[in-house]
Amino acid sequence: MKTEWWILLSVYTVATGVLFFMPKNRFRLAVVAFLFMQVITFLTGLCVVELGLIEYPVRSFASINRTSFDYEFYIFPVTCAVFNVWYPNHRRPLVQLGYYFVFSTVLTFGEVIIEKYTHLIIYIHWEWYISWITIFISLFIVRLFCVWFFLKPRT
Amino acid sequence: MAAMWLFGFIGFILFIPHKDRRKGILAAIMFQAFIWLCDMPSFKFGLLSAPVRLFPKATDLTVTINYFFYPVLFAIFYVHWNAKNNRWFRLTYFCIWISVITIYDNILEIYTDLIKYGSLNWFGMWIYIGILFYISLICCNWFYKEKPPIKSYVGGTNED
Repeated sequence: MKTEWWILLSVYTVATGVLFFMPKNRFRLAVVAFLFMQVITFLTGLCVVELGLIEYPVRSFASINRTSFDYEFYIFPVTCAVFNVWYPNHRRPLVQLGYYFVFSTVLTFGEVIIEKYTHLIIYIHWEWYISWITIFISLFIVRLFCVWFFLKPRT
Repeated sequence: MAAMWLFGFIGFILFIPHKDRRKGILAAIMFQAFIWLCDMPSFKFGLLSAPVRLFPKATDLTVTINYFFYPVLFAIFYVHWNAKNNRWFRLTYFCIWISVITIYDNILEIYTDLIKYGSLNWFGMWIYIGILFYISLICCNWFYKEKPPIKSYVGGTNED
């Protein structure tokens, strides 16, 4: 098996493993975050590939889908679920901002390394900071959505 | 295709009561995840194909239907689903929905290029849609099992 597939497999394993560490009582929050992130990643992923900004030479369902199914359907949504489940809501705004920074930076960093050394992803007209900004924004949107979703209706 | 987007929006606004819109959205995104997952293999193995589609370069799947239209239909279905009704009524309700969608899908297949059946016939489609609806229904029911109210653990925004 090629390196790329090993990477995918290990990322899948880690992502699934993390799911087991989630507190049971926050599972619904995780589900909402996961699902809503998919909504965003599908659309942006499709646009990005359609416009030829990024290419994913190694991918699942390669014959019918040019976007990264693994990343968009599973890995990023799981990350987002993790993000929301352990969100430091009672901390200072600065800490919360830092939380966003850490997540975006780690994800971007991983992506850049993978871009450099493997064929899982290739930037065509794309830069690492665009990744960083889009990740940041999408995490923020999902966070907003989750807060709205679990808001207690006014009675 | 444009009509589907338009009617989807109108349908979501008209047929989902304001108070149920969270439920509607949850049902829609839940269904979306499943249809996407199930359509990958079925397109791959040639059960279905979509000659005319959005993002033709990026994907062979039908984005309009998967991403928007059927999830909205499922949301409408789910919001009006009442577990208190007796079993036969629920069964009929379920069957009517999936039959209507199958008929609609067949009409699309025959008269447009939006979707083409490969090795799938109308009955296969009926079962396929039935399974998708059923799985999503179970998951949504699970989500709303703890009634009322759903404990919110976003982490305080609404608690204090």
